[in-house]
Amino acid sequence: MADDKRDDLYALFLERAGAVSAQVVRVAGYSAAALALADIISGEKAAKIVAEPSVMVRKCVDLLREKGVVSIGAPADPGRPALFFDGLRLHAEDAGMGVSEMAVAVAETGSLAGDCTSMEARLVSTLPPVHVALVPASGLVATPAEAIELFYSGGRTPGYLSFVTGPSRTADIERVLTIGVHGPEKLFIIMVDEPGGVGNG
Amino acid sequence: MADQFRREISDALGNPNLRRALGNFADAYPASRENVYRGKDFEAIRAKIAGLKKSGLQNIDQLADQFTRAAEKAGIVVFHAWTAESAVNYIRNLALAKGVRIIVKSKSMATEEIHLNQQIREAGIEVQETDLGEWIIQLSGQRPSHMVMPAIHMTRGEVAGVFAAETGRHLEDDIPVLVKVARQALREKFLRAGMGITGANIAVAETGTLVMVTNEGNGRLTTTLPPVHVAVVGVDKIVSSIKDVAPILEALPRSATAQHLTSYVTMITGPVPAMDGEGRPLAKEMHVVLLDNGRTRMASDPVFREALQCIRCASCLNVCPVFQLVGGHVYGHVYTGGIGIILTAFHHGVEKAESIQSLCLGCERCKAFCPAGINIPGLIRELRSRITKEKGLSGGSKLLLEKVLPNRSLFHGLIRAASLAQKPFERGGVVRHLPLFLAGVTSNRSLPAIAAKPFRDLAGGLPVAGRPKGKVGFFAGCLIDFVYPRIGEAVYKGLEKMGYRSEFPVLQTCCGLPAAYMGAGEPAARTARQNIAAFGGDCDYIVTACPTCASFLKNDYPKLLGDDPQWEERARRFAGKVIDFSSLAGLEELKPGGGQSGTRITYHDSCHLKRNLGVHREPRDLLSAAGYELAEMKWPDRCCGFSGSYSIKFPEISGPVLELKIRDIAGTGAEIVATDCPGCLLQISGGLDARGQQAIKAVHTAELLCQGDNPFR
Repeated sequence: MADDKRDDLYALFLERAGAVSAQVVRVAGYSAAALALADIISGEKAAKIVAEPSVMVRKCVDLLREKGVVSIGAPADPGRPALFFDGLRLHAEDAGMGVSEMAVAVAETGSLAGDCTSMEARLVSTLPPVHVALVPASGLVATPAEAIELFYSGGRTPGYLSFVTGPSRTADIERVLTIGVHGPEKLFIIMVDEPGGVGNG
Repeated sequence: MADQFRREISDALGNPNLRRALGNFADAYPASRENVYRGKDFEAIRAKIAGLKKSGLQNIDQLADQFTRAAEKAGIVVFHAWTAESAVNYIRNLALAKGVRIIVKSKSMATEEIHLNQQIREAGIEVQETDLGEWIIQLSGQRPSHMVMPAIHMTRGEVAGVFAAETGRHLEDDIPVLVKVARQALREKFLRAGMGITGANIAVAETGTLVMVTNEGNGRLTTTLPPVHVAVVGVDKIVSSIKDVAPILEALPRSATAQHLTSYVTMITGPVPAMDGEGRPLAKEMHVVLLDNGRTRMASDPVFREALQCIRCASCLNVCPVFQLVGGHVYGHVYTGGIGIILTAFHHGVEKAESIQSLCLGCERCKAFCPAGINIPGLIRELRSRITKEKGLSGGSKLLLEKVLPNRSLFHGLIRAASLAQKPFERGGVVRHLPLFLAGVTSNRSLPAIAAKPFRDLAGGLPVAGRPKGKVGFFAGCLIDFVYPRIGEAVYKGLEKMGYRSEFPVLQTCCGLPAAYMGAGEPAARTARQNIAAFGGDCDYIVTACPTCASFLKNDYPKLLGDDPQWEERARRFAGKVIDFSSLAGLEELKPGGGQSGTRITYHDSCHLKRNLGVHREPRDLLSAAGYELAEMKWPDRCCGFSGSYSIKFPEISGPVLELKIRDIAGTGAEIVATDCPGCLLQISGGLDARGQQAIKAVHTAELLCQGDNPFR
């Protein structure tokens, strides 16, 4: 995809995701992504984090561990949050944050889309009050229709395809918009351009 | 009409919370909806959805089989439930066999339809609604009042009371706090539930995929945590291919809640990995209960099949002026509003829909908003006509519609007699109070007196163009003929200015719409034949200044006489000549009388002119060209509440609808409200008079354009 086309899609994505209360940053490469994740962890004062063991998430978390930002699987010591890749069914119940990877970002609706067939991908994005999603900038598409086409191309049928658009919400009491019902009350999106710089893809 | 139904209406109207909540929503909805459709071609999306649903419904059995094969291939157990009972039994037996103690549910209208919860509970299993609105409804032992916002009729204070009783805590009526309470209470249930029950918005035959459109996150939890997932899916929800999903997703959130997309859209194909409470892997089970419950029967009905195109966005509720006042509970069953009337008839029996079908004003607004292209008011009229065919008309209506209406001289004779009978109640051309059982008719609006001389007695003496370029037949309609002959005079003047010779065929009679709308097709057809015969064949145009007559003559006559090829052809030729006054004046570039410069007016769109004939620009252009300063009111195309006999049958609904219209008119500061419909004129001028707003004049567009300086003689 041409850089300027991707930037147009990103501009719309940023506007639409922002309009549904998602917080979006766009970074170049994994070290920048790891820094962004560290900022969110400290900003949200998350002591316990559950993470989907996916490629993007592992890369970022490895960098965080090297820098001593998180410890993996260990009980939290003061000032250092504990992050879990395993035992997520139980850990997700009381974790303050979940980190997952979503393959696609939809500009027109400000949505993320990803194959959440694995139990881990679903647990970390449904139970904790904060959801951080890593998404590659190369996954930007214009419309939900394009996203569906991507996931269903070549005769593939994902078991559990999720579109996520902003945090969980309701207007069931007096039509007053209230964020955070059963799902996350905050959604952070870290959009990662491939290493080497923004738009290098 | 059942007393209980009347009582429910009056209870709903007397509930200020309901009125406020629904009123605010109705005011906010159109603009926010329009906002999310910006840049989209609504007509194209609607055509796509209507097309794909139509073709699906024609092959509903085949699609159900195809879905079943694909779903089974994906590891889903599919059960075809012909009736509500068999669906409930299947789910209950499954839950018992699995030893399930707690079931969590995300929002599903299909499970409401089959009354699942109560019967599961009777088997000793706890069923927990998890959608916030549904949970509120469940805890307070009510029915949802709206398909998308089930608890829209309740205030935060009432919700706080319900939650306090459930949790044993004292709770402030603070919405974010109440939402947190629900999150905590239901989280426990999610984690412990042995079964999750959902509905589905779409089912894809090609792949066996279910699509769920939700906002709160309960749908994802319901399909993730419990080891057994049961989806209850109406067979009408099946579409052929995965390509059919996107158009529905494009419309559903936009039309339902004015969102580009809901927070979550989940597309599930087969059982996914699961874990027990300790995190050990479990084999997940997924069941789809394909629910028929009257759908196949409905799909085989060439007319009512259309209702199954519904994608449950509830926009027909959101824009309905009646729903806005009475809310969902008076509809008596699960599905409410316009589409609910039709679905109720099929799922719960025609007799259940008999009272509620009469709630429809026929303003056609829902039809304009429906993203699935369903002619909801048309289907309600068809339902009415079938009920009438089956049960016959009631005594008074039978006499009036079968004996009086088709007999022109009797009908007109009675109107002339009534003009004498009203004398004791008339003051200055207005009837303000009627005695006894007729009092309701004048409680919200005054009525105009029946004219001393009907238009048919005046027409012969009116000037016509000297060297005419053509001949126009004038179809007056009952209101102009007998109540507002002054509008007829204005039309004649206008036609003279345009260079036409006007003719008033005296054998013309009522257009027949009142009969047709009450389900009496045969008397309507008889009046149609009389009118067609009365007009002969030599006019260039047949002009009316009543959009209700115009749309009935133009759109319905050929259908009404469709049984007889000869009459159908005559009706078609007749219909081809019918035109409303403003459209003809626009075509002929009528130069209106001058001297009105700067007078502030506002314009009310008649439902039938705007939505049945698509005319709304023409009268505005003509009035502006005449020098009037047009100040648009807030909802110019919202119904005034007249709708013929509706205002007599349901004065308690018609009155508040009119109240809103008067408020919007007065809000413009205009001296004149113009409209193209004598029915709207009757309603609005009566409403202005009854509220002491005599300073604002209600006038027909033709009067303003053709009467020169003083249209208020």
